[in-house]
Amino acid sequence: MSQVFLFKAALAVYLASTVVYGGSLLEKRVLTARFGAGLMLVALAVHTFYFVVRLFAGGAPFVFDAYNALSFFAWAMAAVYLALQLKTKTRVLGAFVSPVISVLMVIASVDFGGRIAGATGLTGTLVSSHVMLSIAGEALFVVASLAGGMYLIQDYVLREKTDRRLIHLFPSLHDLDRINHICLLLGFPLLTLGVITGSFWARIVWGSHWQWDPKQVWTLFAWIFYAFLLHQRLAIGWQGRKAARWSLLVLAALFALLFLESLFISAHDFI
Amino acid sequence: MRLLIVGMNFKTAPLELRERLQNSCADQDIVLAGLMRHSVIREAICLATCNRVEIIARVGETDHDENFLKAYMGGLGGFDAAAVEKHFYVYRDTDAVRHFFRVASSLDSMVMGEPQILGQMKDAYRMAVDRHATGILLNRLAHHAFLVAKRVRNETDIAVNAVSVSYAAVELAKKIFGSLKGKSVLLIGAGEMSELAARHLIRQEIGSIRIANRTFERAREMAEEFHGAPVLFDDFPSVLPEVDIVIASTGAPGYILTKEMVVSALKKHKDRPLFLIDIAVPRDIEPAVGDIDNVYLYNIDHLQDVVDANRAMRKEAALRAEDIIAGEAEAFEKWFNSLAAVPTIVALREKMEGVVKGEMKRFSGWIERLSEEDRQHLEWLVSSIINKILHDPTIGLKEESSEKDELGYIAAIRRLFRL
Repeated sequence: MSQVFLFKAALAVYLASTVVYGGSLLEKRVLTARFGAGLMLVALAVHTFYFVVRLFAGGAPFVFDAYNALSFFAWAMAAVYLALQLKTKTRVLGAFVSPVISVLMVIASVDFGGRIAGATGLTGTLVSSHVMLSIAGEALFVVASLAGGMYLIQDYVLREKTDRRLIHLFPSLHDLDRINHICLLLGFPLLTLGVITGSFWARIVWGSHWQWDPKQVWTLFAWIFYAFLLHQRLAIGWQGRKAARWSLLVLAALFALLFLESLFISAHDFI
Repeated sequence: MRLLIVGMNFKTAPLELRERLQNSCADQDIVLAGLMRHSVIREAICLATCNRVEIIARVGETDHDENFLKAYMGGLGGFDAAAVEKHFYVYRDTDAVRHFFRVASSLDSMVMGEPQILGQMKDAYRMAVDRHATGILLNRLAHHAFLVAKRVRNETDIAVNAVSVSYAAVELAKKIFGSLKGKSVLLIGAGEMSELAARHLIRQEIGSIRIANRTFERAREMAEEFHGAPVLFDDFPSVLPEVDIVIASTGAPGYILTKEMVVSALKKHKDRPLFLIDIAVPRDIEPAVGDIDNVYLYNIDHLQDVVDANRAMRKEAALRAEDIIAGEAEAFEKWFNSLAAVPTIVALREKMEGVVKGEMKRFSGWIERLSEEDRQHLEWLVSSIINKILHDPTIGLKEESSEKDELGYIAAIRRLFRL
């Protein structure tokens, strides 16, 4: 019961922070965004507490049903974003991050029509690490792409020179580019480890590392795309507009693929 | 509250007058000692900056306070106060509080939102404190004003945006590069404008500065001054790949920096952003340069637009700031009113009665066992003790308030009894 309450409380505060962030965009005031960040921090604390309670309550596996995987996704995004706030002053980026978090949390709360796979033998540290690493990696990529999106907007207004208050409100191009870079840099190894642990697990459960499951194919695509982005950044020296544009493009492609994938029946039906 | 502010500022008085007054206010020892010697003045602060000179004082009961201060300032500046009467402004009590808060928050400044005035006020206050010229009212007023200024700064956009062209350029550069630390700058043309911009940039700890000018000698002079490197004018395209910010301000009749030059420079520049500022009229940089990816081109009109918009934003922010100040002035007045004798006496009595009530309750078991008559006696006894104890302080406070300086006594009583 208290778990449900904690979850709903976290959801409510995330929603509140989204509203406040939205207000900061409308008002074009950084101060309001600071309140939004404060609310997000509170929500993150409640959300963390929810996971802790859940862990100690035992019984149910940690993050394996769709419901909890999405909520963990949201948690990871909030944690990543707030941690990045310590490094760079990009308060208003939260106005882009918090709606995504809220949507994830709302979907998680609807419970996906009970598609809780829980399933046979889905316990153990290997599965836990697989799920948590992959989700954390993907969450970092989403934040990277949101920063990229914001970069393109800031680039546009700086060029057009029309909306000065927006220029002032938005973080500097440099900071946004740096967030994109940091998120790729941290997210890629996490996703890689997630894929490796997953394939080990698949070997144990399904007998082989790979079986052309749509979910696996999607993850492979994601991995390749991000490897490409990171390579271009580190080896070719991409930065700024090009990097931002491509990371948005990759995110869009992955969403499209996710939609395609949902048309297939997957053995990996627990998200 | 007998708070009085008399002064003149850039709006009310010509520079010549302010100059004379400011010069003579430089020695605060003399100014404050002279003020405090006079019986009318109980506390005083003298604020003298290039845009204003004013005396903030708590005065005693008299009708001559205003004229006294005007004459005093006239004496300092060596002019006849009556002749320049119209250049003075006078604020009293609530208006004075509000004025003081407005000045501290830089709402009354020539460039609204400029940060220096607060520092100047803090200095003036410290000097008055050092000379024992402040007391309970001005101490509280000054500290309150500093808090108000902080609130205004944090809660409104009054000070966030640049209101000069060269500072606007720096702000924009920050929106592109984050911090300007270590960035390299190329100045094409070593005129007055570029010098001003260079000064602003150097304050941002930029990495290197290069200066190209038609007259090489001038480039070398300026390079020396800013610890930069002079560049031959015809060589400037060759250093383009190494710089992040270019400020062009030559008197050339046509474009000297073309799209072609920038494109070829960017080949080595990878995807690094390049910020081009064209403050020359006629323009130095071909406008089409602005279409290149990662290149941000601003000309003098763009920057002027930014400045105009920021000025408008500051005005908007000022409205919010006035609200904050009105609220804070009210809070200050409330505090001051609590320092009056009558409410203090009432509060003191209430406190005593509260103590009695509490103790009576504690012993209620015993009291209930007493006879009706004994209970009556007990209540009389207690209330008569309270009255006797409070009698002398009550009379004392009333006498003080009708005669001389009661604020200190009242403040002490409020503090000792935690009222």
